[in-house]
Amino acid sequence: MILNTSPTLSSRSGGCTLTGALSVTTHVRDAVSIIHGPKGCAHHNFSLLHATGLDNDLAVIPDLVSSALAESDIVFGGEEALARTILAVCERDVSAVFVLSTCIVDTIGDDVVAVCSREYPVPVIPISTAGFLGGNFQDGVNKALISLAALAEPTQNNGCVNFIGEMNLEYEVEENYAEIARILTLLGLTPGIRFVHNITLDEISELGAAQLNILRDPQLVPVGEYLKDRFGTPFLPSFPTGLSDTLSFIESIAGSCGIDGKRAVGIEQALQAEILADFTDLADSHAVFCGPVSDPMSSRAAQEAADALHIRVGNDQNANALPVHPVVGTAGVKRMLHRWRRSLHA
Amino acid sequence: MKQIALYGKGGIGKSTTSSNLSAALSERGLDILQIGCDPKRDSTRMLMHGRFIPTVMDLVRTQGDTAITLSDVEFPGYNGVRCVEAGGPEPGVGCAGRGIIATFQLLEKFGALKGDVIVYDVLGDVVCGGFAMPMREGYAQEIYLVTSGELMSLYAANNICKAIKRLASRVKSNCRLAGVICNAKGQPKEEELVAEFARQVNSNLIEFIPRDRVVQLAELNRKTVIEYEPASAQAECYRSLAARVMENTRLTIPTPLEIDDLEHLAYSFI
Repeated sequence: MILNTSPTLSSRSGGCTLTGALSVTTHVRDAVSIIHGPKGCAHHNFSLLHATGLDNDLAVIPDLVSSALAESDIVFGGEEALARTILAVCERDVSAVFVLSTCIVDTIGDDVVAVCSREYPVPVIPISTAGFLGGNFQDGVNKALISLAALAEPTQNNGCVNFIGEMNLEYEVEENYAEIARILTLLGLTPGIRFVHNITLDEISELGAAQLNILRDPQLVPVGEYLKDRFGTPFLPSFPTGLSDTLSFIESIAGSCGIDGKRAVGIEQALQAEILADFTDLADSHAVFCGPVSDPMSSRAAQEAADALHIRVGNDQNANALPVHPVVGTAGVKRMLHRWRRSLHA
Repeated sequence: MKQIALYGKGGIGKSTTSSNLSAALSERGLDILQIGCDPKRDSTRMLMHGRFIPTVMDLVRTQGDTAITLSDVEFPGYNGVRCVEAGGPEPGVGCAGRGIIATFQLLEKFGALKGDVIVYDVLGDVVCGGFAMPMREGYAQEIYLVTSGELMSLYAANNICKAIKRLASRVKSNCRLAGVICNAKGQPKEEELVAEFARQVNSNLIEFIPRDRVVQLAELNRKTVIEYEPASAQAECYRSLAARVMENTRLTIPTPLEIDDLEHLAYSFI
């Protein structure tokens, strides 16, 4: 049983398990996500996913359907309402149906797995996402990815490199993807599927074909382990953060794929030097780092860039506030330096 | 208006006691409403001559709550006792506690909670907040525990004392323990044991109802004892209970026992 923590410990990165799972399942274009619960749980998430999608130039309406439970369903059990909703969704042209549970249905003990195990024309995949059970946004992401991975069968290696667990709700999701794809191309490798970002169920069947999986973030390691067990695919635990980390990332990929990465590292070093040369106007400024993030990896990447440009970081009176963002790859650092320039020259 | 609730271990005789109490109260010319708060829906059956009346929750499920009127859910039983069954889900699904809450809200909307006495007959164990609903503000202020001298029955009664104590500590709560009713199993020194239990939880033994075959005979004939054998000693017992309930002014905040003390108490009456 999950125990209550202090109400003062609300974490901005915690989030709801349901929302995390939906950030994955709604990116399967030919599937529908059913939220088994009161209709408000669907509406709230729909708004969030839709608004974030628009910010990322992904004008896709998230395909959410609510079982729209009312009080009588809570008293008598919501299983039949769920079965009706699944059947109604199956009438449409869909490849799969995801069923995500909410707090109330796990409180009253609806047997969602049993309802999903009945006969339907398409796969119906239950994902337990009741938030009060203690999981956070990331747990929802991981559960959804693992549930989806179970749909793919082991297959012939195609030599590609897959992207696992991209943060579909982050602002730079496309830029970050493009950066990793660029690095793979630099190494002569082919980018594989984006598991899961704007994808079809058919494409997911290629999941097991990759020679390497790259996780977006170390919190996805359980997903990486699952894929390794199921398909034998090794994984790297994270996209790279900052300049030197990007160089080691290139070496790690080369090592995993058994290729020589020296040339690619050399090209990347030259690119990084070229970028730093473009920002010499920032040299010798006084700065202090500020949000929006303060995770150790991002802070380290920011410090590294500041050192390379001889920016003095310290909290003195003349210090300019420099924003620290999560930066992926060399391109991420470049975007951060542009932001710094705007801050310093404002 | 007096509102009382009977709580106790499952199978201890709450419905039998409630129905006979309601019947006895009605004989005094009082307007009585008995509400069965148990998905088993059999609280009022003896007052209704064996009929399972439609439950509030069944009607809500089939018709929606806007289409229901008071006459759909309230049925006149023996001697004009008004009978309501909350109902609820089939065993093993849904949330019966929420069903009780929904029923109470609907009865309030109908203005059904009126008369001289309302008798709430509540499911054995107060397993969740919903089953404590009858004890909340505006409903039953007087809680009667129905128990025999058996340890498990006393244990359940003691647990309900804990619930009353907790609710009584709330601001504006008038929920109090009104007494203990011993529905005897026929074990030796049973009355003394239950009386001592009642004293130790800061209450009184209100009535000792001996075990009598007439209760089973009345049930087999789908009647309360009051109706089936009005001249019997058992019927007189229920009338005495009715009189004591009407006179009772000793409402207390209970002092539940620790399990060791409860066992020790039961042991000392072997």
